[in-house]
Amino acid sequence: MVMVVSETAMSRPHFKVRKSTRRAVLIWSFLAPSILIFFLYRILPLGWNVLLSFQAWSPLKPAVFIGLENYREMFFDDEVFWQALWNTLGIIGSAPIGIAIALGLALLVNSDIRGRDIYRTLIFLSYPLMTVAVAIIWRWMFDERVGLINYVARMLDLVDKPIPFLNSFTWALPSVIAANIWQMLGFYMIIILTGLQNIPGNLYEAAAIDGANAFRRFLRITLPLLKPSIFLCFVIGMLNSVTSFDLVYVMTAGGPGHATEILVTYIYKLGFTQTRFDYAAAVTVVFFLLLLGVTWTANRLSGGNAGAVEID
Amino acid sequence: MKKYPRWPIHLALLAASFVMLVPFYWVLKTSVSGENIFSYPPNIIPRDPNPFYYVDVWYAIPFARFFLNSVIVSVMTIAANVVLNAMAGYSLTQSFRGKSVVLMLLLSCMMIPFQTTIIPAYLITGKLGLLDSYLGLALPLFSTIICIFVFKASFDAVPRSLIDAAKIDGLSEWKIIWKVMMPLATSAMATNVILSFIWSWNNFMWPLIATRSADMQTLPLGLARFMSYQEDSTGALYAFCIMVLAPGILLFLLAQREFVQGLTSGAAKG
Repeated sequence: MVMVVSETAMSRPHFKVRKSTRRAVLIWSFLAPSILIFFLYRILPLGWNVLLSFQAWSPLKPAVFIGLENYREMFFDDEVFWQALWNTLGIIGSAPIGIAIALGLALLVNSDIRGRDIYRTLIFLSYPLMTVAVAIIWRWMFDERVGLINYVARMLDLVDKPIPFLNSFTWALPSVIAANIWQMLGFYMIIILTGLQNIPGNLYEAAAIDGANAFRRFLRITLPLLKPSIFLCFVIGMLNSVTSFDLVYVMTAGGPGHATEILVTYIYKLGFTQTRFDYAAAVTVVFFLLLLGVTWTANRLSGGNAGAVEID
Repeated sequence: MKKYPRWPIHLALLAASFVMLVPFYWVLKTSVSGENIFSYPPNIIPRDPNPFYYVDVWYAIPFARFFLNSVIVSVMTIAANVVLNAMAGYSLTQSFRGKSVVLMLLLSCMMIPFQTTIIPAYLITGKLGLLDSYLGLALPLFSTIICIFVFKASFDAVPRSLIDAAKIDGLSEWKIIWKVMMPLATSAMATNVILSFIWSWNNFMWPLIATRSADMQTLPLGLARFMSYQEDSTGALYAFCIMVLAPGILLFLLAQREFVQGLTSGAAKG
């Protein structure tokens, strides 16, 4: 459409010159504020991070180029970095659990039962809420002395003595992951539900006539056609979880020890409690490359458009 | 299709809804009673509910100030988002030289999560002299790529004939944008308002980095700080949680369809 219009505009060149420059000025001045923001807060930081990662610098000292020294320290001398990296990967790896639960829920609320809109609302409710408050709520649910989970577990005789979930090296990370899944679940469900509703119903009818049972129909029709939605969930969920600074910071602050440290919290600590901006920048570069790699892989696996934007 | 029993579905969904709601109930209960912090086993129904903890919060911290800060930052963010994204979205529906470069730029910016920019973002905001100010808190969220594309899709859907008709009627480009395009883009506008509200209202990391004085703290920051010195030993913390969550929940219940639509279209587009 747009192309056609511009061609007709070009075919009448005489009084177009001034008008087309005016149009260009208008278009670019409309774009300029947004582009300026993205330049200031996306592109410039990316470049600055890369630059900073090769330097030794702190706010009061001049920058010195030190080559790969920051990276060498990160990979060979920094156990906390490795711990944070593994925890981040663990959180990425846990996204499928939430997606699987959400898939089940989406199938259930997609059936024609009464009150399904209410169920959808209730399950979605936690997603748009302030993560800091969610973290405080879950911190308390997992509490050793007064937490509801320990209370229920003890009531059902599942445990002898209360588990200090957030203070235990084994349980802290799974607890944070559980809270994260709890918050993301409704979101995954809605995305998958949208995918489900886009599957044409006559496919199922045809398969039923051919004698496929419900399970085979799910396996052969639902799952393949849901693949884009599921990968979209994965990409969004992954990006959301590994960057969920607020949840980790408020629930455990990365502790006990560094048992729940993720790269984002580590970068924050390096930068703003230890004032090691240079080293934090190097960790950020690795973190960024990791996210890029995972997103790219997910895109490839999904057939190329998970999280993609429809340009036209 | 053959009939199948419905009760297992209801049972499973009730269980799921229960898991989603119990934490809220528990917090609400404690915020009005505070009792089960001291008593074990806890009661399911609050005994002797009272609003004392809410009063506590009001006096223990400058709640009104935090709330005002949050509102100011959110309003700035929402206003900037609607205006700037609509402008950028409109430009992208036109054809102009360099459009593909701009699109590439936007798409690659989308791959840079805010969390990977914090160190330079802090330094840049410092150089601009905006640390510890409302503008500094809101600026990084002033324009969002997802929302630009939401506007673009909505403008693209405006029938060409309508614009041509307006041109024939002698409307200027500005008039066309204001009188023809914008009224037809209300759902895109709703999406923009909702997404930018949620992002700025819930934002924690950036205010944590960019504010120094207690006067500039927003609600999430106030809540986290409150937790760190209350050591979850009183009901006041949970009363605070409820006070912070209540506006969001209310807004969500009132504009449910727009919320779900906005959040998922935001996601589906990137």
